[in-house]
Amino acid sequence: MSSSTVSVSAATPTRHAFQRRIDDIKPSKTDINFVIMDYLINEGYPRAAQKFAKEANIQPLVEEESIQSRVEIRNAIHAGNIEVAIHKINDLNPQILDTDPALHFALLRLQLIELIRTCTLSPNADITPALTFASSQLAPRAPTNPEFLKDLELTMALLIFPPENLSPQLAELLKPSLRQEVANRVNEAILASLGARREARLRNLVRLRSWAENKAREAGKDLPAVLPLGLNDDKGEDEDEAMNGNGGAGDVMVS
Amino acid sequence: MFRRSSYASVAAGNAAGSGQSQFAAPTRPGAFSHIPNTNSTPGPQATHTSTSHSRHHSRTVDAEGHHNSMSTSWGRGGQLPSYGSQFGSLNSYGGSGQDGLSPSFFVPSYLRGSRHAEKLEEAHKAKFVAQRDFRSNHSSNAGSLSTSSSSVNLHKMIPSHRGLTHDIIERAPVFVEEPVAPWPTRWSDTDKYTMLEVLEDGREAKFTTGAQKTHDEAASVRANYHMPRQCGIYYYEVTVASKGKEGMIGIGFSGPKVPLSRIPGWEPESYAYHGDDGQSFSNTTSGKPYGPKFGTADVIGCGINFRTGTAFFTKNGVYLGPAFKDLKTDRPWYPTVGMKKAGETLKANFGQEPFVFDIDQMVQAEKMSILSDISRTKVQSISNKDKTPQDETALIHDLVAQYLTHDGYVDTARAFSEEIMEESRSLANGGDSSFMYMNADEDLDAINRQKIRAAILDGDIDRALKHTTAYYPSVLRDNENIYFKLRCRKFIEMIRHCSELNAQCHPPTPPSKRSTASNGHATDDFDDFEMELDEGLGTHNRTSTWGTENMEMEDELGDKEAKLADLTEETIKYGVELKSEFAGDPRREVKKALEDTFALIAYETASESPLAPLLETSGRLPVAEELNSAILVSLGKSSSAALERLCQQTEALINVLGEDGGPGAFINVRRDFLQ
Repeated sequence: MSSSTVSVSAATPTRHAFQRRIDDIKPSKTDINFVIMDYLINEGYPRAAQKFAKEANIQPLVEEESIQSRVEIRNAIHAGNIEVAIHKINDLNPQILDTDPALHFALLRLQLIELIRTCTLSPNADITPALTFASSQLAPRAPTNPEFLKDLELTMALLIFPPENLSPQLAELLKPSLRQEVANRVNEAILASLGARREARLRNLVRLRSWAENKAREAGKDLPAVLPLGLNDDKGEDEDEAMNGNGGAGDVMVS
Repeated sequence: MFRRSSYASVAAGNAAGSGQSQFAAPTRPGAFSHIPNTNSTPGPQATHTSTSHSRHHSRTVDAEGHHNSMSTSWGRGGQLPSYGSQFGSLNSYGGSGQDGLSPSFFVPSYLRGSRHAEKLEEAHKAKFVAQRDFRSNHSSNAGSLSTSSSSVNLHKMIPSHRGLTHDIIERAPVFVEEPVAPWPTRWSDTDKYTMLEVLEDGREAKFTTGAQKTHDEAASVRANYHMPRQCGIYYYEVTVASKGKEGMIGIGFSGPKVPLSRIPGWEPESYAYHGDDGQSFSNTTSGKPYGPKFGTADVIGCGINFRTGTAFFTKNGVYLGPAFKDLKTDRPWYPTVGMKKAGETLKANFGQEPFVFDIDQMVQAEKMSILSDISRTKVQSISNKDKTPQDETALIHDLVAQYLTHDGYVDTARAFSEEIMEESRSLANGGDSSFMYMNADEDLDAINRQKIRAAILDGDIDRALKHTTAYYPSVLRDNENIYFKLRCRKFIEMIRHCSELNAQCHPPTPPSKRSTASNGHATDDFDDFEMELDEGLGTHNRTSTWGTENMEMEDELGDKEAKLADLTEETIKYGVELKSEFAGDPRREVKKALEDTFALIAYETASESPLAPLLETSGRLPVAEELNSAILVSLGKSSSAALERLCQQTEALINVLGEDGGPGAFINVRRDFLQ
């Protein structure tokens, strides 16, 4: 850690008026702690939530159990064990997938992708399981929605091309981000089925920050060139790269 | 509790700072000087720009405070039901409805929960706190005049002393920094044409007979304030109580300088919907077909959407569509009605009553469309570390992890990091390690800070002080006000403890009468304060000795009572020490905090007193946070975590986006996003 004792609030002459407005706002720690707790519970970090309740001296909002099953489902999806995940979701509440065909299809397609991934690992592997699954589980659903059909066709293309030589669109399907995305959707659906908020407040807060900056810049408001958050930078905000004209290096939000 | 009042006192101080002369001479002449001011200038609100409103506020805060201390009947003047008696009588001043901050403060239904409404309400409350503050100061402290003027100087100095202000966690009172534009509450008594009479607390405007000079001559009246664009959408309704003979009535809005001898809509800078022909008029005498005619018993609504720069009308709850577009939203528009014939009477509803049109729904729909726009925003940030773009999830992970570490939630940070690791591992599925970004950097400082925080949250201030002195000796030295707050908190914890023990010694027995008898101590040597202490806490001892008449639990009780007695004595000793250490401190907030804290002693059962909120454990967190920030600053780190800065930036951006009635006006960051 730098031993510099530069006071954070040392007024530099170049300080933008807007920076002063920012500094004048004192967010309530109670609110922030609440948002953190909400996030830990909503997105399924039960151990952190438990510790946080203790350390920040706040009441956990729900019992740990309900988080736990969501965590298990998430981990199963992340690990590619889609069948396990579907079972667990149905154990929790069969209505969830019944009432959301798109989500169900997304899970089944993910399962197909995992099967294809296994099949294509070795050059001479048997692709029958993947074909059987596709024709028995996905094909009957595909005609109900043009999106489903498109997704299925794209997925089947994975069988044709060698995994090391895929078009970007196809390569996308094998990336972990797809699992993450489906896992998020499942989590939201479960939360909605419990009558809870679908998304953690923190997500919308982060979007609000991004949106507000865009709008303010569009409207030609007088803002500093960048508004760094100071992540990964435990020094004073005034010495941020932004101030040194090294724009873009700061952890600014863009969209 | 004392924190709140202390910022109220800051508020008072700042308010005085902006209009100093009042504070320097806070006696009758100062207070009275406003009256002619208000009454003699015809239609002051018409010519006031929004900045002058701020002056108006601070002045009122000040003046009102004095009024109340001088004579209570003045304070009540504001509640007198009749504004009918026109100026010349003091009521029109005392009826500070002119300020939109009268005791009958109201929030129109569609603005409930909006940021602007909150700001106005805050300003409204601050005014009353300031009054109370002044009153208590005035009664308890003869020297208050000189101290208050010295505190003015102090507060004026602080902003240049950034290190100090940084430590004041309290939300600065809003109206000090930026004027909060009040919304209309009534028709103006002064900003009207002479042939109009304003009745019924300013809600009714009536055309009285008078010799009309020309055929064209009409009479209009503007509301006391313009429609604040910070509301995003502003809306009011008018009931036609009587349309008279012809129903030549115009309802709309106009700029502050538009002549009032004409029906709104005909003059430049005026817009209205007319009852006799149903046409809409903007800036000219030739109208455009707009809606149906209206007459007696019809309810006409008029609204401006400042985000889109459009205006609309409603009739009997039915939306009539946009009437005007491309309105200039950077100037003040006053609700305005005009009429032409004797007997025509209009009654306004500025939100005092439910509206006929479902304006709430319209505002809600506007807000919803903005919120859904927000939730569709794609977030990307550029990380400092490897300069690669991060998606929303990764950014949120970083924000949470950094917050937990920064604020010293060490165990949580560790657990979170582990859980994220697990998640990444299953996601990475061997090989792909792009998700392995987390590593809670646990430094010694984080652990030390955690210890200190834990001690404060446990109410063990001594332990916190000990740790702080050991690890960060300079922090308490350099941040005297935090040191002071810790000391006060310790005193509060002691009283808390006493009060708990006391409750155990005296399970819900009939409330023992407070002894008024002399307590037999030789009081000569004690100063006032100590007498108070003795009286307050001493009673506990006495009642407890009487209480032991029922012998069953004597042993256990005796034990506890002995403890209580010890503790009480200790508390008193500590209190004396605390007072002597800080008694000489001229700072107003220090005085105020001391006063509030010591007032606790006056209550036999502090936990049931009006000051009970002071005792609540929730008061520990702010102290802990403040100390944590100070330690971070002393280490050369930023005092606020990235997530906190994100909140600050968001709020500031939304404020900027709302000031001109833009989309930000519909958003209340705290209510809509944090709670």
